[in-house]
Amino acid sequence: MREFKIAQPRTADELAALLAETKEPVAMMAGGTDLIDELKSGVATAGLVADLQAVAGLAGIVPEKEGLRIGAMTKVVDLDEDAAVARNYPSLRQAARSLATPQLRNVGTVGGNLCQRPRCWYYRDPQVVCRKKGGFNCYAFQGRNKYHAIFGGSGCFIVYPSDLAPALISLGAKATIGSVKGDKVVPLEQFYALPEIDGRRENILDKGQFLKSVWVPAPKAGQKAVYVKLKERGTWDFALVSAAVTGVVQGGVFAEISVVMGGVAPIPWRLRKAEDVLRGKPVSEALVRQAVDEALKDASPLRENGYKADLAFAALKEAVLAAAA
Amino acid sequence: MEKNPDKKHPGGVSRRDFIKGMGTGALGTAVLPPLLGQTIATRKGRVPVYDKKTITLTVNGKKASLTVEPNETLLDVLRDRLDLAGTKKICDRGECGGCTVLLDRAPVYACMYLAIRADGKAVKTVEGLAEGEKLHPVQEAFIEKDGYQCGFCTPGFLMTTSAFLEKNPAPSLDEIKQALSGNLCRCGNYAKIYGAVDAAARKMRGA
Amino acid sequence: MNTKAPDYRLIGKPTRRIDGREVVTGRATYTQDIKLKDMLIGKILRSPHAAAEVVSIDLAPALALPGVFAALKLAEGKVRYAGQQVAAVAAVDERTAEKALSRIKVEYKTLPYVVDWEKARDASAPQVRDGKGNVEKFNEYSRGDVEKGFAEADVVVERTYRTAFEIHNPAETHGSVAYWEGDHLVVYDSTQNIHGVRDGLARTLKVPAANVTVIKKYMGGGFGSKLGLNEHTVAAANLARETRRPVKILLSRRDNAVCVGYRPSSLQTYKVGAKKDGSLTAFSLVNYASGGVGAGDEVSEPVVDIYKCPNCKVEEFTVFTNTGASRATRAPGHTQGALGLEGVMDELAAALEMDPLELRKKNYSTRNLGDTGLPYSTKGLDMCYELGAKAIGWERRNRKPGEGSGPVRRGIGVATSIWFGAGVPGTLADIVLYPDMSVEVVCGTQDLGTGTRTHMAVVAAETLGLEPKDITVKLGNSDYPWAPLSGGSLTTPSVAPAVRDAALKAVDRLKAVAAARLKVAADDVAMGDRKFFAKSAPEKTVVFADVYRDLRRETPFHGERTGYPGDAYAFNTFGAHFAEVDVNVETGRIRVLKHVAAHDSGQIINKLTAESQVVGAVTQGLSAGLFEERVMDDTTGNPVNPNLCDYKIATSLDIPEITPIFVDIVDTRLNNLGTKGLGEPPRIPSSAAIANAVYNAIGVHVREIPMTPQRVLAALKRKEAGS
Repeated sequence: MREFKIAQPRTADELAALLAETKEPVAMMAGGTDLIDELKSGVATAGLVADLQAVAGLAGIVPEKEGLRIGAMTKVVDLDEDAAVARNYPSLRQAARSLATPQLRNVGTVGGNLCQRPRCWYYRDPQVVCRKKGGFNCYAFQGRNKYHAIFGGSGCFIVYPSDLAPALISLGAKATIGSVKGDKVVPLEQFYALPEIDGRRENILDKGQFLKSVWVPAPKAGQKAVYVKLKERGTWDFALVSAAVTGVVQGGVFAEISVVMGGVAPIPWRLRKAEDVLRGKPVSEALVRQAVDEALKDASPLRENGYKADLAFAALKEAVLAAAA
Repeated sequence: MEKNPDKKHPGGVSRRDFIKGMGTGALGTAVLPPLLGQTIATRKGRVPVYDKKTITLTVNGKKASLTVEPNETLLDVLRDRLDLAGTKKICDRGECGGCTVLLDRAPVYACMYLAIRADGKAVKTVEGLAEGEKLHPVQEAFIEKDGYQCGFCTPGFLMTTSAFLEKNPAPSLDEIKQALSGNLCRCGNYAKIYGAVDAAARKMRGA
Repeated sequence: MNTKAPDYRLIGKPTRRIDGREVVTGRATYTQDIKLKDMLIGKILRSPHAAAEVVSIDLAPALALPGVFAALKLAEGKVRYAGQQVAAVAAVDERTAEKALSRIKVEYKTLPYVVDWEKARDASAPQVRDGKGNVEKFNEYSRGDVEKGFAEADVVVERTYRTAFEIHNPAETHGSVAYWEGDHLVVYDSTQNIHGVRDGLARTLKVPAANVTVIKKYMGGGFGSKLGLNEHTVAAANLARETRRPVKILLSRRDNAVCVGYRPSSLQTYKVGAKKDGSLTAFSLVNYASGGVGAGDEVSEPVVDIYKCPNCKVEEFTVFTNTGASRATRAPGHTQGALGLEGVMDELAAALEMDPLELRKKNYSTRNLGDTGLPYSTKGLDMCYELGAKAIGWERRNRKPGEGSGPVRRGIGVATSIWFGAGVPGTLADIVLYPDMSVEVVCGTQDLGTGTRTHMAVVAAETLGLEPKDITVKLGNSDYPWAPLSGGSLTTPSVAPAVRDAALKAVDRLKAVAAARLKVAADDVAMGDRKFFAKSAPEKTVVFADVYRDLRRETPFHGERTGYPGDAYAFNTFGAHFAEVDVNVETGRIRVLKHVAAHDSGQIINKLTAESQVVGAVTQGLSAGLFEERVMDDTTGNPVNPNLCDYKIATSLDIPEITPIFVDIVDTRLNNLGTKGLGEPPRIPSSAAIANAVYNAIGVHVREIPMTPQRVLAALKRKEAGS
């Protein structure tokens, strides 16, 4: 593993000050299960790691009047085992349980999952300097790309690997971003940024900023939420395609619906066109087909990942039918 | 949010680009000043920063104090510095489960945990499972049911299983499979391992 | 010949491993765990380029680093694959060694290369070997007249099947620790072949074989990737010689994807002709295999041997690429061949509207070479078919492939295996009896995790009237009596008969000593309940302890595995697998529900570990059939998934109910126990049975492994398009 120093701030203020005032690049370590891989391979180049473990007040699931606050340093296992999450946000629990392995969930955090780096095999190869690492090209574009993006890839065709992000976005979550200037709240959907904004990062965090917590609104009456993850092997796999659906079903139709997919784009991919098709009509397989076809008009598959279009239908069908049931 | 993706695709990648780029991502070798127990001053106070730290671990019930650098993993410290070679290094990237140890009773991958962050915590390894010469029921069951072949992944499976059965003393087959889903067995002996976990559960329940 | 299994006390019954306690306590010492005084850590610098001229290597900056003891140049001239060794260092610890590697300056002049084996077939592709084309015929076989055979056929089916590059990825990566005691070299090596590594080191380093000792106590898997001498072992020995210190070199997980082999790919086109009643008239096979800078595998053995067919023609080509050389991978060639042959048999059965199992039985052979060669000494394949079909519930399969409906389709498939497994004559084992009644079994074989230690103890204990725990087993040291490499399913049928031979000789001596005590003729002495007694007067007894004490000193008995009539009979192992699967036609995901594995491997020595062999091989076949594939990138010349994240191995949630069945046919012509090999046979038909079950479920053969969702969905589209 490369050499680095480790800073262990004790409060969010200390962390914010450290991030703001340090000249050299700082990598934040939450659970570390992603960053350590990059430090070992040499893909991460920071000379200073900010260890978030001891920062007071970043962990915990706290019921609030109009929702649930989940601290960035909350372990995924705690999210999985939380009674309020199980009761009110079944899709979030499904997503938590579907990710990684029990051992990684014992260490990995919600914030870390939401801020993890892409799993693109070119990005992860320390010998390759691709666009995401400041190079000129996306090696996946004409290379080996069966796991890559069918939507939203311009210049960089990673898929965003988080399972929690699609579930949380479909539930209407908001992110609280900390910095020396104070906290800022943005919809989690807007927390992520396409490569055309900045090819080197996947979210809007600027230098000095860090993810403090996410807040999920209380479920509406009749709200259903489902997360479906399609993968190659039975477990320990990133999504080929995943679908998070949150909706309010009244009389067999979705009065409200939110659809977010994972594994298809460089960011969690909101399918608004599909939502428009699905909203207000009797739910059927044919309707889902129509919704997916509408969404896929924006897709531009690469040489090896066209099958993801079929999987998008399969995932959405399963999620929508389960939510409507 | 559903933006029309920029159709300006990158051009083809040439081999020359690859070769030119190579090496810049190689392991860094920055020479750092000694910083054992120092701080970085910020407007909000002094933040502790280390390039070495003396940590205390309780390993298999015994306290151990040692000075570690930030880039030492718990796995390397256990194997190389505490001579506990029972915990195996298989992938070194949190992709196999071979180095599973219990950290404050929870199974974690020692290869993906910085030793410096384990300061003050209790670590249990395969060497700490048996009480003297008396094997833990999980160990007995893995022998009885032939719950391994080459045995290299076995310490990891044993640690995962022992923690799991503390939480769930009477698991179903499906729960066993879920619990073991973070441990790979390349010899492919899972079907035998399920039987071993079930037998261990029965032993521990006295059933 | 009586093929019924004798009524043994221990052999064939389940016996717990005698080394279990070592393994489950973490005390078992693997090569990775070897730590010697003053030991240095060696690391190897590898070429990032798939083809390059090494212009210069500057070791000086590495040697200047404090803690670095030695550095070596390992490449001269051209490197032909990414991952080829270029230089090595030995340093005081791992981090120093890593730092030293990054300081070595290598100047490369990059050369054109090709890593995509299909592109390598083009005449215009860069040449992997100087002055030679990339495609080379390496095997051909012919019997009868295939054109005549196809002309006589009522139905002819032609299909192409593909198998991927499968990496062994043993849990323990390759590694060696070398040190010199004067002019004697001692090497701890993670190897399947201690004697072969000894001989290889002796040749390479130009030292007498008698001055080299290779030791392997425990090993974390090999699967064929650890059969020979490795370059890093030579480097460790050279660094140790130079530094006069022990040097340890462990390879990384990435190294496992680039420089220590993999199963070659295959592209197999079969053409098969049959009469309406299913009798085969002709088979032809053209195979293109790729093994990088090494050779492809012959996949033709199954098509040449298994089914009765008078006309057969095979041509096999290897395609060279700029990737590391392939290595034998558990049942090399046969595993790929079974996927193709058994696939085309099922597609033929569908064309004939015949039960696939009936088609196989219709063409059952009792002689090798498709019923044209030597008679099989024993062949229990018919019993495997019968017991396996019953266990899976064969009658529940779809009569017509893909006749089910709905998003989840169920199917059942069968596949057959043939393999060798006769063992190697000349294998030696010693039994040493001690006056204190301790018993040692010594053999220079190695236990890969298959349970060889326990097999040796079982055979010795059975023969000597003792329990396995009474036996001290010594193996894994090349100073011990010769045994072959552990590969090719050779170990048990080589070692167990040698141990048996030594033990029988020991019993003869013990009986003679007991006879003197009992004052009866030696042939009147029998053994039981840890006593010797006179058959003529059973009240006359002497306990084992007294007889052993009478030996006065430790007494060795030399056993040997003797020859077998290979010129009169064919000796093979057989098996049949039956798989049941669910296939989701929307997601392309396959779930294997049940897998029955019926095997004829002769006398089973230890049922407990034999079952593990079968369970493991079925699981590996499932893993290769559904998930495993090394993906090469033509732009970088490197694999994109040299890890265990994107190179996917089956997890605990992918495993079906697995039922091993042994038909217990004892071939006494073969050896004194009638035992045959078992390591590879259950790996051969496991992916193929699953592929055929998928075909039965969805009505289209995927024809390519791994059967990922991507490929299953593509196959379904092919079916829709009617091709």
